[in-house]
Amino acid sequence: MTKIKSSALILCGTVVLASGLLFAQVQRPGEYPRGVKPSPMMSFFVTSEPIGDGGNLGGLAGADAHCQTLATAAGAGNRTWHAYLSTQARPGQPAVNARDRIGTGPWYNFKGEMIAQDVAHLHGDTMELAHQGNNLNKLTGLTEKGQIVPGLYDYSDPRDTDWDYVKNTRFSTRHEMLTGTQTDGTAFTDAQDHTCDNWTSDKSPAPGTSNGNLNAADGRPNAQIGFPDRNGGGSGSWNSAHGTRGCAQTDLPKTHGIGLFYCFAVN
Amino acid sequence: MTRPHAYAVLLCALMLASSLMLAQQNAPNTQGIAPPPGSPTPSPARMTFFVTSVGLGKGGDLGGLAGADAHCQTLAAAVGAGGHTWHAYLSTQARPGKPAVNARDRIGTGPWFNWSFAQLGQPQNAIISADLGELHGDTLVQAQRGSNLFKQSARNEHGEVIHGIGDTPPIQHEILTGSKWDGRAYDDKADHTCNNWTSSTTGSAQVGHTDRIGNGSSWNSSNATKGCSQAALESTGGAGLFYCFAVN
Repeated sequence: MTKIKSSALILCGTVVLASGLLFAQVQRPGEYPRGVKPSPMMSFFVTSEPIGDGGNLGGLAGADAHCQTLATAAGAGNRTWHAYLSTQARPGQPAVNARDRIGTGPWYNFKGEMIAQDVAHLHGDTMELAHQGNNLNKLTGLTEKGQIVPGLYDYSDPRDTDWDYVKNTRFSTRHEMLTGTQTDGTAFTDAQDHTCDNWTSDKSPAPGTSNGNLNAADGRPNAQIGFPDRNGGGSGSWNSAHGTRGCAQTDLPKTHGIGLFYCFAVN
Repeated sequence: MTRPHAYAVLLCALMLASSLMLAQQNAPNTQGIAPPPGSPTPSPARMTFFVTSVGLGKGGDLGGLAGADAHCQTLAAAVGAGGHTWHAYLSTQARPGKPAVNARDRIGTGPWFNWSFAQLGQPQNAIISADLGELHGDTLVQAQRGSNLFKQSARNEHGEVIHGIGDTPPIQHEILTGSKWDGRAYDDKADHTCNNWTSSTTGSAQVGHTDRIGNGSSWNSSNATKGCSQAALESTGGAGLFYCFAVN
């Protein structure tokens, strides 16, 4: 009797332990990896949280500071971090290209996995490189805390377009990264807004002027976004897929963004 | 049965149940989504693109292009989409007296819509590509953007997402194409098509990834298989699946 009992207990323990180990491997999008620190090589991450004022990031300086703060909290503050953002030309002020702000690479993620070798690889500067693509995808586009960024259908919840809901959870679709750039990493050269007024605007479109195409339109507050999971409407572009419904914080979740962006270490 | 024994069994059952519950929570949602209330009546006839839900089971031997096309047609007909003429997205290499066939020349002109469009009438994720140029990235900007063929849009004829890296096994994301990035056949001497889709033993086939993860991110030309047997395909995350496009 005792023999049967103890072997039953051992069997039970083994089954529970084995299934626990098996499923512990699956890291839910949004979930923090347990007890894992960022690789000392980390030189790329997706911000784990937004600044919170829509497209107003306090300009490039404010966005860079956000990168630096998050990196420092994660123990990677020894590097100089820049946000992957472009700004458009203004009278007396030339455009700034995101690709010119991020050093020369190679860049590695939280786990030490390479995202891209250099600027040309990251952007696909030649036909061959463009077809090959960089190594940024859903499983490598990690935050500074090691989270996979929740994408389409990870958490199917109709409230995921409502900022009042998504601001209180880590587990909602939020895969739209602000970039303000074209596919080659350069700033837009037309007169329309692709950068929420160079990352200073939190305005919504005037009533009745919002178009549904997610394209820029005259006078409409808008920012170009890309998908770290290469998985969204328009195209799977990591840096230039489509626009937003506006620049207010509450506008961004309408298309599954919350105002996150990419950070790269320049050194 | 003594009482401590009963408690132990109860405890064990509880632990197992909670561990299983946790597991369910952790599993990413990769299955087809249910149509929201009030959706239009499903009309599979509108579908013009899918990934085969099953292969032919003989590795790289598909019975040539004709066998692969027939497989597309059979699977499509089974879900009510047999009204289209379906072709497999596969290239064959040149042989003496026989020119090469380019996958991109076999699939009509587009646009192509996936299962989501047919079932839900929703544009989101539904359009695979508007035309051949967008699908293959013929211009630099098109290539940099990538086509709209990605994990959630590349569904099989039942609307299911193909399991890729990070999903529960078996992973089946390596899709037979035998093609270069531009959708054309290889012109070197090496085998890229399991001997023009007739070999289930020696040779190799070029594959793409539905989830665009691994060895670059190409949907149609990521890497070569280790061999042409079914086991060889499965050893690297494939199952002998291929893309089907309606040409009309």
